[in-house]
Amino acid sequence: MFDTATILAGLGDVFQLMTLLYVLAGVIMGQFVGAVPGIGPVMATAIAIPFTFGMDPLAGIGFLVGINKGGLVGGAIPAVLINTPGTPDAAATALDGYPMAQQGKPLKATKMALYSSVTGDTFSDIVLITVSAPLAILTLRMGPVEVMGLMLLAFAVIASLMGASIARGLAAAALGLLAAMVGTDPEHATPRFIFGNFEVYDGLPLAAVAIGMLAISELLFRLARTRSAQAATIRIPRDQPSEDRRVSFAEYWACRFTMLRGAVIGTLIGALPGIGSTAAAFMSYASAKQVSPDRASFGRGNIHGIAAAESANSAVMGANMIPMLTLGIPGSVSAALIVSAFMIHGVQPGPFLFEQQGRLIYGLFGAMILANLMNLLVGQVGMQFWVRVITAPESFVLTSALLLCFVGVSLAAGGLFGIGVMLAFAILGFVMTAFGFSVVVFVIAFFLGPRFEISLSQTLALLNGDPLRLLDYPFGFVMIVAAPGLAVWLARRRA
Amino acid sequence: MQTDRITGATLIMLGSLLIWWIIPWQAEEVGYGWLRPRTLPYIISAGLFFCGVWMMLRPVAEGLTAANWPRAAIYAGILVSGLALMSLFGFLWVAPPMALVLMLVVGERRLLWLTAGAAGTPSAIWVCVAILLERPLP
Repeated sequence: MFDTATILAGLGDVFQLMTLLYVLAGVIMGQFVGAVPGIGPVMATAIAIPFTFGMDPLAGIGFLVGINKGGLVGGAIPAVLINTPGTPDAAATALDGYPMAQQGKPLKATKMALYSSVTGDTFSDIVLITVSAPLAILTLRMGPVEVMGLMLLAFAVIASLMGASIARGLAAAALGLLAAMVGTDPEHATPRFIFGNFEVYDGLPLAAVAIGMLAISELLFRLARTRSAQAATIRIPRDQPSEDRRVSFAEYWACRFTMLRGAVIGTLIGALPGIGSTAAAFMSYASAKQVSPDRASFGRGNIHGIAAAESANSAVMGANMIPMLTLGIPGSVSAALIVSAFMIHGVQPGPFLFEQQGRLIYGLFGAMILANLMNLLVGQVGMQFWVRVITAPESFVLTSALLLCFVGVSLAAGGLFGIGVMLAFAILGFVMTAFGFSVVVFVIAFFLGPRFEISLSQTLALLNGDPLRLLDYPFGFVMIVAAPGLAVWLARRRA
Repeated sequence: MQTDRITGATLIMLGSLLIWWIIPWQAEEVGYGWLRPRTLPYIISAGLFFCGVWMMLRPVAEGLTAANWPRAAIYAGILVSGLALMSLFGFLWVAPPMALVLMLVVGERRLLWLTAGAAGTPSAIWVCVAILLERPLP
């Protein structure tokens, strides 16, 4: 697992020209779409997955990672300039970014967002690279009982923290598991819930379900809200003094503890499935405000506010990959989408990944670090251009995104049938979101469903009808017992 | 609070429907094995039922996302009609008018943006997918 040759070969793969170009293209595309309120990196990733079909796995996954990382930087631009976060993660950035832009320093605010985002992201990537392989060794020792316990624990955490209430979270998870049962039963190979459609014998296509629930339902929401075709107009003052257009090293260095705190908060939250980067950004912002001697300036254009929010929301991205790569449990929507990209390329996420695809994984780590560097370089040059992207009207942006989803799903999930599945799940996603059910919980449960059923079946076979045998598997037993308790505790804390 | 009760009642109905009708109809009965095809669906459906009961008994008043249902239904209708037409005429012929209708319903009236959405985007997709990637359009 720690074979140096594999690590070096993987890192070397990143420097192949096509891989570098795809990562760069991903970063540019990510910053571009992040700057467009209404699309964002999640939707862009969903749309881009099918287009990675023809690519080498590392180039394809590197491209998607680039989109995600670029999107986090791009999302700060509309938050700062028009007080409309391009992504929910950037909502905390707007608290100080927008007032700073109003004071005539929009480029300073966006550049601070860029630097702190790259700093937080790099920190969490280093933690990912350091922690994931040893963690994978531990998880390789887990049997079906432990895997099932772990999944129950993951369901408990995700269902308790997402959605309007714990009942809704659990119901969303149950619906996702039910959708995962469409197809062939894993133990007896009998058809289940296929309603005469033989196309679903292998189950519902993940790409169609994920894009329908996450991207199309969100597009429907935004289209339904859009009343006017006009877009906001942005003005960047041309006659600014240079200190208002850039962030000096002294200003960056003054924010080092704020960024470090944000990066630690983002990494810790990112490593837990289901909490998400928006929460991390607000927690980091609140803690920066708490320790600041000048609390009153927060919300009025304090540069520490931007640094706190951006370092935390970007740090979530790398840490989200820890449960995904080591346990096969996606910690967020982006991670769930990257999981589906792994599967499209025939790679099964989980602890065996390091053993069977070590070169690919270390290549991915290299691509992540490179993407951070590219984010910095592209952002330095591109910020002034992305600002103009915001002026594209929603009518054009959302319609184009819909057409791309149609084509993307058709490529990934078998033509018009896949599009039909996508639309059906888009309507379900719209209804669920409107009634406070988390579509993210649904998609994660849908993804984990087949593995959960197999591990449950194996656990029952191991126990051979004697529940007391569960005590022979202490870790699994503790996790199974802890799951409901943890769900109740988290729900009470949230309330 | 009222929404929670209605949602709870819907979940109870869905759970009951699954337990009494859909699972017996759509999952085979097998007489052997530890985890039979119907076991987990029954457990999950019972879970849905109890979530519904919980929501009815302990309603909370938060977390709902305001949705414009009539407008969303119009857009969903356009997309479903677009899909039906695509099965007859293909993406290349249906995408431009579908994009145009969507943009007009949103309220876009500027010729430049209408042309970009209805002609530019489908053309760009055609070039990328059919020409560069050499993959069939739907």
